[in-house]
Amino acid sequence: MASKNKVVAMILAGGKGTRLESLTKKTAKPAVSFAAKYRIIDFPLSNCANSGINTVGVLTQYESTFLDSYIGNGEKWGLNGVHCLMSTLAPRQTEEGANWYKGTADAITQNIDFLDGADPEYVLILSGDHIYKTNYLDMIKLHITSEADVTISVIEVDPSEASRFGIMVCDKDDNIIQFQEKPKNPISNLASMGVYIFSWKVLRKYLKDDSKDPNSEHDFGKNIIPKMLASKKKLKAYRFKGYWKDVGTLASLHEANMDIALDKMELNLYDEDSSNRIYTEDVYSVPQYVGKKGSIKRSIANQGAIILGHVDSSVISTGVTIEPDAKVSRCVVMENAIVKRGAKVHNAIIAPNSVVLEDSEINLGNDEVVLIDNGRK
Amino acid sequence: MNKVIGICDLHNDPHLGELTKNRPLGAVTFLGRYGLIDFTLSNFSNSHIDKVYVLVRKGIVALRKHIGSGSIWTNNTKLGYVELLINEKGLTNKAFNTDINNIKSGLDIDELDFDQAVIAPGYMLSSMDFRPLVSKHITSGAAITCIYKHVDNADKDYFQCDKYKLDSDNHIVKSSKNHGRTDEADISLDTFIISKKALLKLIKDSSKVSELYSIKDMVNHYIEDGSYDVRGIEFNGYVVPILTLEGYVSHSLNLLNYHIRNQLFFEDWPIYTTTHNTPPALYGKDADVQNSFIANGAIVKGKVYNSIISRDVVIEKGSDVRNSIIFTKTLIGKDTKLDHVLIDKNVKVLNVKKMVGSEEDIIVISQGATI
Repeated sequence: MASKNKVVAMILAGGKGTRLESLTKKTAKPAVSFAAKYRIIDFPLSNCANSGINTVGVLTQYESTFLDSYIGNGEKWGLNGVHCLMSTLAPRQTEEGANWYKGTADAITQNIDFLDGADPEYVLILSGDHIYKTNYLDMIKLHITSEADVTISVIEVDPSEASRFGIMVCDKDDNIIQFQEKPKNPISNLASMGVYIFSWKVLRKYLKDDSKDPNSEHDFGKNIIPKMLASKKKLKAYRFKGYWKDVGTLASLHEANMDIALDKMELNLYDEDSSNRIYTEDVYSVPQYVGKKGSIKRSIANQGAIILGHVDSSVISTGVTIEPDAKVSRCVVMENAIVKRGAKVHNAIIAPNSVVLEDSEINLGNDEVVLIDNGRK
Repeated sequence: MNKVIGICDLHNDPHLGELTKNRPLGAVTFLGRYGLIDFTLSNFSNSHIDKVYVLVRKGIVALRKHIGSGSIWTNNTKLGYVELLINEKGLTNKAFNTDINNIKSGLDIDELDFDQAVIAPGYMLSSMDFRPLVSKHITSGAAITCIYKHVDNADKDYFQCDKYKLDSDNHIVKSSKNHGRTDEADISLDTFIISKKALLKLIKDSSKVSELYSIKDMVNHYIEDGSYDVRGIEFNGYVVPILTLEGYVSHSLNLLNYHIRNQLFFEDWPIYTTTHNTPPALYGKDADVQNSFIANGAIVKGKVYNSIISRDVVIEKGSDVRNSIIFTKTLIGKDTKLDHVLIDKNVKVLNVKKMVGSEEDIIVISQGATI
């Protein structure tokens, strides 16, 4: 259905991700490691690839160097084919001057030329820091058949959490009739996932108008969507079914990793359908080795890991060494970290290249997630 | 600077019984992750030899599938390449399906822009830097250099390999088959460095000597009649040829030993292989794994000791797998006990609940079987 440039995806990947603390000190949030092998942005990029969306712009800003080189020409997700265009779009100097992206909508406004060049009918706006698997074509179909101006992907959340999200109120046909951005008293539990499909002509006009509005924060949730609602545009809700997680905090990043390690399987990374997998960089490491006195259970581990100690309910990335007699439980151990002999760690995220010292005991018996991050030069 | 091309010669591949019945040796899974040919191709790549020809005797489809465009082994994807060649005439007459005839049918050596060629087989497990060997070859002025290894277990791992006798100037004066009568020997690694001029002469001479001769046969011919300057250079690193099914199994399992593994794998010498987009290995709550390699995509819910588990293998609950090698996408059903078993890919072990072989007599289950 999606012909050459009918749908163009724009992935918002410029946020700083301050709630991930020092994990994002030198790395943009979408480039943070996830599930032993992946980086967070692999998920929306693989979803685009598996949905047949060939033109993808990634809007980068904060610490964009590594993210830009990681994305490269899109080859890791197969987005380097003859009909593909993969481009990272960082803020830049133009005739009008130099500007940072001032908001999610402004990031798109500053790249209207890119979109005009691609000439799409529909623009899919995605977030670079969500973990989920989907084929966007279902949502695109709904957008087309319902003749909506914008379709917003929504998910039912626990009412107690609803105030963290943009909340939608729908009529019986799932037309959005009211929108609350992070409300104190939510009147619905349908949360926006930050995934939008706009008809490009409509969006283009709203972006242009919004860019001239001095009171606007140039944000989709705060400005563009309320303005479209106010002017009686057709806003449709697409009810997403399945696993979806915003991994914006240490706790949620840890929890999403645990969901996979403990084989809750809702995300199904182990899909037998090879056209429905998550793609990523493949590192050229030796196979994963479990030693004579090592043990590993309720966990996932990537190639290149060496497990000589004991691993339970954890995520072990490439190049990690768990030394003899070390014990890790409920830990997310990121690439090339070392847990030294006899160390015991519980409920921790161990950042890339970090070292847990011999015989140290960290966070034992504590339910709160801690970050161990000492690997930077 | 000398221009060097690589030739990976698969014409003299040994047969590994069941394992090579339906596929060339180079495409046989190794350590659950590699194809055997990855070692030679990575040695070329890491030695900065960017133009590589693979002389295929049979099974080009499986090799094409594994190698793809070859870009994972090439440095500059415009300038470099891994090109697969077959001798189409040789397909109708197997006797003529030699590496020399393959080169003659697919490559115009005279036209190719190179000074030296490194010719290596696809069944040597080694991390071999060709650069110092090529430099020594050029300095020596030899027409052909044979790479050999001095070993003290010639009666074991190198049975039926060629062995050389060298004079004090490193000229090879004799080449003969190693029948393991002595422990010590200078074993040929079937790896040759040859100048363009010498390769042209070798190809030309072969049509006068025998059109059934391989490159290796011609080199041995020169050694025997002393008509050409053939010398040896010793390689000191880890290298073992995979010559038999037993050798494949024992060398694979030997690499579970940290000290042996560290002789083959080096941080600055990556072994490149094709990606399959597999997720990390997943361990269930009853998983019990010791001294084993587990490849990505594997799901382990049972016991695995001293074994190699390949990509996308499932080991169900209650299973007990020891001293075994399980190939890609095989399913080991619940409560299955396996010891000293090699199971090829896409096998479903559903109803047989116990198979016990031994070190001398490993049980092999063929590709695709349901048992």
